[in-house]
Amino acid sequence: MGISLNKGGNISLSKTDPTLKNIIVGLGWDARPTDGADFDLDASAFMVKADGKVRSDSDFIFYNQMKSTCGSVEHTGDNRTGAGEGDDEALIVLLDKVPADIERIVFTVTIHDAESRKQNFGQVSNAFIRVVNKDSNNEVARFDLSEDASIETAMTFGEIYKHGSEWKFKAVGQGYSGGLAALARQYGISI
Amino acid sequence: MNIFKGQRIALASLFENNAQADRFQVGLSISGNKEAIDFACFGLDSQQKLSDDAYMTFFNQPKTPCGAVELSTPVGDTLGFSCQLAKLPAKIDKLVFTAAIDGSTSMGQIKDGYLRFLIGNQEVARFAFSGKDFQDEKAVMLGELYRKDGDWRFSAVCQGFNGGMAALVKHFGGEVAEETPSPVSTKLSLEKKLASAPKLINLAKKATVSLEKYQLQETVARISLVLDASGSMMNQYRTGKVQEVIERLLPLAVHFDDDGELDVWAFSSNVLALPAATLNNYADFINTTEGGWRNWGMMSINNEPKVIKQVIELYQKTLLPVLVIFISDGGVSRNKEIKDLLTGAACLPIFWQFIGIGGRNYGVLEQLDTMAGRVVDNCGFFALDDLNSISEQELYDRLLSEFPLWLKAAKNKHIL
Repeated sequence: MGISLNKGGNISLSKTDPTLKNIIVGLGWDARPTDGADFDLDASAFMVKADGKVRSDSDFIFYNQMKSTCGSVEHTGDNRTGAGEGDDEALIVLLDKVPADIERIVFTVTIHDAESRKQNFGQVSNAFIRVVNKDSNNEVARFDLSEDASIETAMTFGEIYKHGSEWKFKAVGQGYSGGLAALARQYGISI
Repeated sequence: MNIFKGQRIALASLFENNAQADRFQVGLSISGNKEAIDFACFGLDSQQKLSDDAYMTFFNQPKTPCGAVELSTPVGDTLGFSCQLAKLPAKIDKLVFTAAIDGSTSMGQIKDGYLRFLIGNQEVARFAFSGKDFQDEKAVMLGELYRKDGDWRFSAVCQGFNGGMAALVKHFGGEVAEETPSPVSTKLSLEKKLASAPKLINLAKKATVSLEKYQLQETVARISLVLDASGSMMNQYRTGKVQEVIERLLPLAVHFDDDGELDVWAFSSNVLALPAATLNNYADFINTTEGGWRNWGMMSINNEPKVIKQVIELYQKTLLPVLVIFISDGGVSRNKEIKDLLTGAACLPIFWQFIGIGGRNYGVLEQLDTMAGRVVDNCGFFALDDLNSISEQELYDRLLSEFPLWLKAAKNKHIL
């Protein structure tokens, strides 16, 4: 069991788990048992420079662009219903391969079509986002979306950032309205 | 304090600073609905199942064995529960407050409603919702109290099932008795069955209303149509009115019939058994089937007995009830023959619904209802100036009003 995050809390990934080389950001939720539109949660990553913006649109890794040019960030696939055990969607980050001019990688989770489907995280059962050490499978940090972000539809879950020679993880847990498009614009994607 | 759809919150934060929070009330209300709404509280185990029926609290079972949940309606609410969570056994992990509509409307059609918390008759928190928060659900979980890490939390679930109470109970792991099927199921299935025929979909609702009215939702029967195709009917065929009859009746066949087919006969001096009308061939049936009506060899004088004999022959050994819809534009003269045939057929599982259209001189057809000498009244008759002079709703109502009376009588006499 990882450390359950408080908003704004920092964790030195390297110190929490000295073996950490590669991480998985996993997103999971339960498929909808009731009638109505499916719950479709999407995990995305923004690779940003020191100024907080992407270098180009190819630094936005999401269901339509599954791998960064450098190969350091990869999306494992879009799950549109939440069917299946464990992580339903995941982003894999190979820390050693992250280009030098990328200072931070921001992880977000959004509900697809939340506005028209009138959905929020609280309606979804067992929705979580977590960071796992890819090599040891240890969970490093977790955020319970269903309980702690119940009336949100989009959230910056957290970010990994360079601090000297090590990588740190900051739990942001900040909700947004406007969905993935609004988040993308914030990080300099032209939409 | 307002609670929003989907919101989850610690119960303690709703009751902040309230010393009497160990006992509170949940009040429920829904307005703007035409039909009755049943509220209930389900106590579920950690597997989210109703493992003990005694923990379903509603008007027929007003209290849980432990006394933790008890019917108690706050002033101004439709129904409510008094809750003392400390009394709940550990096996109960969750209390779900539900609403179910008993009838043809859905939660999407309500005006608004709320679930509120009260302590000592004072409201402390309210989750308000409206019809816009729902779609076609007929049974919904409005909100739930659940244990989490040793504390109780509340979730404004606001989700449910189109299949009504039966689907909800199934979701909670319960079994629904087969002999009390929800009328909902048939309504949905008729609409679903007609999904491939968009032209007929708007008829599904109207047919369903009549089917529910006459409690025919679960009846299985064969439906057949006998069409007068004598010369005087020519204009009705030419102007598409007969085609319209087929389109109006097909939804009934789809509903009642095990194979979804409408058996069709045309008669004049001769009889023609046409291929059954189905959802695949109904469009332009009159003009395309067997080369189109002009090539049926009809449009001569009318010989009712001949077609009645053929219909009897086909159905006399059937085990299912048969509803024969017999269209005639009058000029009926073979009264004695018709009377004898129908009197003899009274012991068969066939009901004859005659419809007179735009004609006169219906002869014996007008006396069928009161004709003596039969085991059961196996005939109905009504006349219309024009097939299209009444609304579809009225047509279904009139078509289906006598059939259920015969079904009952036929069952009593062991004809069915």
